[in-house]
Amino acid sequence: MNINSQIGVSTPRKESWDKVTGRVKYNGDIIPTGTLHGKILTSVYSHAEILSINTSKAEISSGVQGVVTSAQIPILTGPLIEDRPPLAKDKVRYFGEPIAIVVANTEEEAERAVRLIEVNYKPLPVINSINDAIKPDASLVHDSLGTYTCDADDIFPKAHTNIVDEINIRKGDMDIGFSESDIIFESTFKLPQSDHIAMETRNVKAEILPSGKVVIYTSTQAPSSVQKDLSKAFSIPESDIAVKVPLVGGGFGGKSNTFLEYLAFIASKAVNGKMVKISNTREQDIMSAPSKIEVEATLKIGATKDGMIKALRSRYYVNCGAYSDSGPRMARAIASECSGPYNIENIYCDSLAVYTNHPYVTAYRGFGHLSLTFCIERMLDKLAKKLDIDPLELRIRNGISPKDLSPTQAKIKPSNIGNLSKCIDRLKELIHWDEGSIVKMANGNIRAKGVSCFWKTSSSPIDASSAVILTLTSSGEINLNCSVVEIGPGTKTALAQILAEKMGMDVNKIHVKLEVDTETAPIHWKTVASMSVFMAGNAIINAAEDLMTQIRHIGSKVLDCSPADLDISNQRVYLKDNPNIFIDFKDIVHGYKDPLGFAFGKQIIGHGTYFMKDLTIMNKETGMGYVGVSWSVGAQAVEIEYDPLEFSYRLINAATVIDAGKVINPKSARSVIMGGMSMGLGLSTREEFIFDDDGMIENSSLRTYKVMRFGEQPEYIVDFIETPQGDGPFGARGMGEHGILGMPAAFANAISSATEEEFDYIPITPESIWKVKTGGKYDTF
Amino acid sequence: MIPFDFEYYKPQTITDTIKLYHDLDLMGRKPIYYGGGTEFISMARMHNVYSEAVIDIKGIPELNIHEMKDNELIIGAAVTLTQIAELNLFPLLSLTVKRIADHTIQDKLTIGGNIAGTIIYRESVLPLMVADSDIVIAKKDAVDRLPLKDVFNKRMNLEKGDLICQIIIKKEYLNLPSIHVKRTKVEKIDYPLITMVALEKDKKIRTAFSGLGGYPFRSSKFEQLLNSNKSNKDTKIKDAINSLQSFITDDLHGSSEYKKFMLHNMLYEALENFEEGNK
Repeated sequence: MNINSQIGVSTPRKESWDKVTGRVKYNGDIIPTGTLHGKILTSVYSHAEILSINTSKAEISSGVQGVVTSAQIPILTGPLIEDRPPLAKDKVRYFGEPIAIVVANTEEEAERAVRLIEVNYKPLPVINSINDAIKPDASLVHDSLGTYTCDADDIFPKAHTNIVDEINIRKGDMDIGFSESDIIFESTFKLPQSDHIAMETRNVKAEILPSGKVVIYTSTQAPSSVQKDLSKAFSIPESDIAVKVPLVGGGFGGKSNTFLEYLAFIASKAVNGKMVKISNTREQDIMSAPSKIEVEATLKIGATKDGMIKALRSRYYVNCGAYSDSGPRMARAIASECSGPYNIENIYCDSLAVYTNHPYVTAYRGFGHLSLTFCIERMLDKLAKKLDIDPLELRIRNGISPKDLSPTQAKIKPSNIGNLSKCIDRLKELIHWDEGSIVKMANGNIRAKGVSCFWKTSSSPIDASSAVILTLTSSGEINLNCSVVEIGPGTKTALAQILAEKMGMDVNKIHVKLEVDTETAPIHWKTVASMSVFMAGNAIINAAEDLMTQIRHIGSKVLDCSPADLDISNQRVYLKDNPNIFIDFKDIVHGYKDPLGFAFGKQIIGHGTYFMKDLTIMNKETGMGYVGVSWSVGAQAVEIEYDPLEFSYRLINAATVIDAGKVINPKSARSVIMGGMSMGLGLSTREEFIFDDDGMIENSSLRTYKVMRFGEQPEYIVDFIETPQGDGPFGARGMGEHGILGMPAAFANAISSATEEEFDYIPITPESIWKVKTGGKYDTF
Repeated sequence: MIPFDFEYYKPQTITDTIKLYHDLDLMGRKPIYYGGGTEFISMARMHNVYSEAVIDIKGIPELNIHEMKDNELIIGAAVTLTQIAELNLFPLLSLTVKRIADHTIQDKLTIGGNIAGTIIYRESVLPLMVADSDIVIAKKDAVDRLPLKDVFNKRMNLEKGDLICQIIIKKEYLNLPSIHVKRTKVEKIDYPLITMVALEKDKKIRTAFSGLGGYPFRSSKFEQLLNSNKSNKDTKIKDAINSLQSFITDDLHGSSEYKKFMLHNMLYEALENFEEGNK
């Protein structure tokens, strides 16, 4: 009765055929008859008082049904601190900030009318950098910081400053740590603000039915947060709000907050609840919608001459832009994981989230870990160079392992962390590390390999939860219903595999509801933090057990035995001792009708839940706390070829070895890691917002904002180590974001080795190398 | 999404086209000529261009000619960059157009549109500049054949309603030793940091550039210095580059100093290549 394992197998995604034939419908593809269209007027200043808004011309423009400004909606929103009006009120705080919405019969009419709105601004001094924000006499982005409502207990905005929150880590004793060190040095790092560039731009449809029910159709990673946020902002019972999410064309964290949903609701309300669609252009999605954090950091490290790290003192500044959103939580994630995957007994960290007049930020793949990884991994390479120790050997020596404590003094256990040294060993083989990290080629070019390790934990709220419901078809197949959003990596197929494995049945007999509807699907926290397979997978295992208990129960009645005598696989329940005595699911899951004409049993429905275990908030003084259930670790490398005459480079190879605990779907796993690596190389080589002196983004279109293109990819090498996660579904651990984490560090390490300079920022362009190598003057040679 | 309505015309003769333009203009329709449409579509959605009447010029036979005739290469203004690259009658032009945007866009972009467009790089004009090309322009009352250098100064100097019909290059220029180099900030497909074409005629090197400053240019002073008798290549190049001092500008693609550095390398390689070819 055994069936082949359903996990560790490259199962085609459930949605593959519909996607590759173009039949899948994304949110924006569905426009019901009668839908009105909203267009948003955005700010042309990065900081200015709004003296007046005149909408009279727009209101009489053809086809216009309504015009909304903040005057009609005096509310503030924000997941942690309520600091953001959905439409700018009294002043604008970033270039691209929404100011007004026009609703019209057609998109064209709305766009025409939006241009007729007249806004009178009085420009204010611009906070255009982290440095501007923290000056003692800095002008304030938010005068009211300190009086805003905070929805979290553990956030501490500093009134009359631009500091949104400060997180401190105090572990060990810095004096002792540095006194035990033979070598101490300090470096400063910079990673710019940039955008998610999901292929599908953000778009929403909203309607308010005559019954009062609000229906939101949106492209989001967080359907239940949208429901909660709208409920809170507009005082509507959650039960009156339905959020419907089809397949999503990429999120990368950018669709984890509520943004356009507020505006679509407001727009619908302005036209008597008719359905209104608002869809961002690419340019609006870049400059108006939330983006990735900017980070600046200074790290001071102390180590013995044999490379044992004794002390790390770090100070991070996280630029949240004009509104806090989840920026402070990324500052917290950076602090809590600031050691990287290394055991450092004496470690202090101050991580400050600050406001500026830049676009506001939200989660971005890696949730801050990318930034801390860049800093710590550059430090390790510098340390290795100074001490003349092999950089990978140095990482193995300091690698964190069970019994060590994380910076928040959480216990590292064999069951909650992957095996870093195994990842490093495998990486060494894959990139032929023993052949040397620097090779001079016959044509004068230099091949250089740079490495980086990474770790990441989930940094979720302590009460994050997930749940699934299983129903059965009359043919005995299973429908899987949960609120995980399919944002691209094939999560729902992996979940089907977990269920198939647990039930001992063919994955093709598992039917996954790809769309999410908050009216029918149980709550899943958010499709973020690489936690969907972990959380929903655990819920599925519980649900499968529930299902099997019920099936054994009815099976025992039909087969006249005890439930304990029965096993289940291949959609049938059978006697352990004699599998030839069985009954098929199809005959019992909707109740059993026996040949004599009696009927008994009932329709069987399974459910299962998962709730985060043992997490605590961090202590305000020391940072002590449990911030995640597991740490995924890995090792990465980038090989470049550097041309020392032109100061240019090519990407040759990029490698990742990650301890995934258990790989559920190898091909999907490989592609999600590769995708992360490609994004990381994009950040390394080109992606950044360029601001002018007035805080306006100069590259707000894909003509000038550059992302990695298909033909520019290096050869990708991806492999997995499998050290089971104690409480993971079949031992699986998060890995959705992780491909990105060490790429910038590995790349910068490779460039630094090849050029014999130190590159402590990204992106690194040929021009930036030329500048460092020559002083940036043509005349100098 | 283009947020305004416009009429669409597709005349079949040059005479009709010119008349149509002026009629529509008199009616206040702000007519524009429409070739591949890439610029109109991308700029209209951003409100950077407005027109109530679009005149598609792709139906005019003279604008679709692409052939050798009487020892001259004639390229109609509506010929696409892909067609130019595939027929490859003027290899330097083929090389140049193959590096403008990507292949999908090259299928749409016309040479007339690239030369007369708004986007400042207009790289396809560079080979025409060094090949002393002529350009045929239909005006209100005549069709003129003019030397390109008389009508292209920073951009095409056309009067309202003038229509670029053809580009004509003499056969003797088509297969001269030549070089095309395009350097970008990072990516293969991007606007140029610098695009350079160079062509050697009568033992003199001619060069034209895009990306260095705000428009494509060819400078006689620059070429004079580059072709000087000085034996040291670096010195010659430096002299030539210094003559452009005020012209080379900083932009999103690179600083002026970096452009000079890059230009120096490009010129050095070009001089070496031409020398090699003359051995």
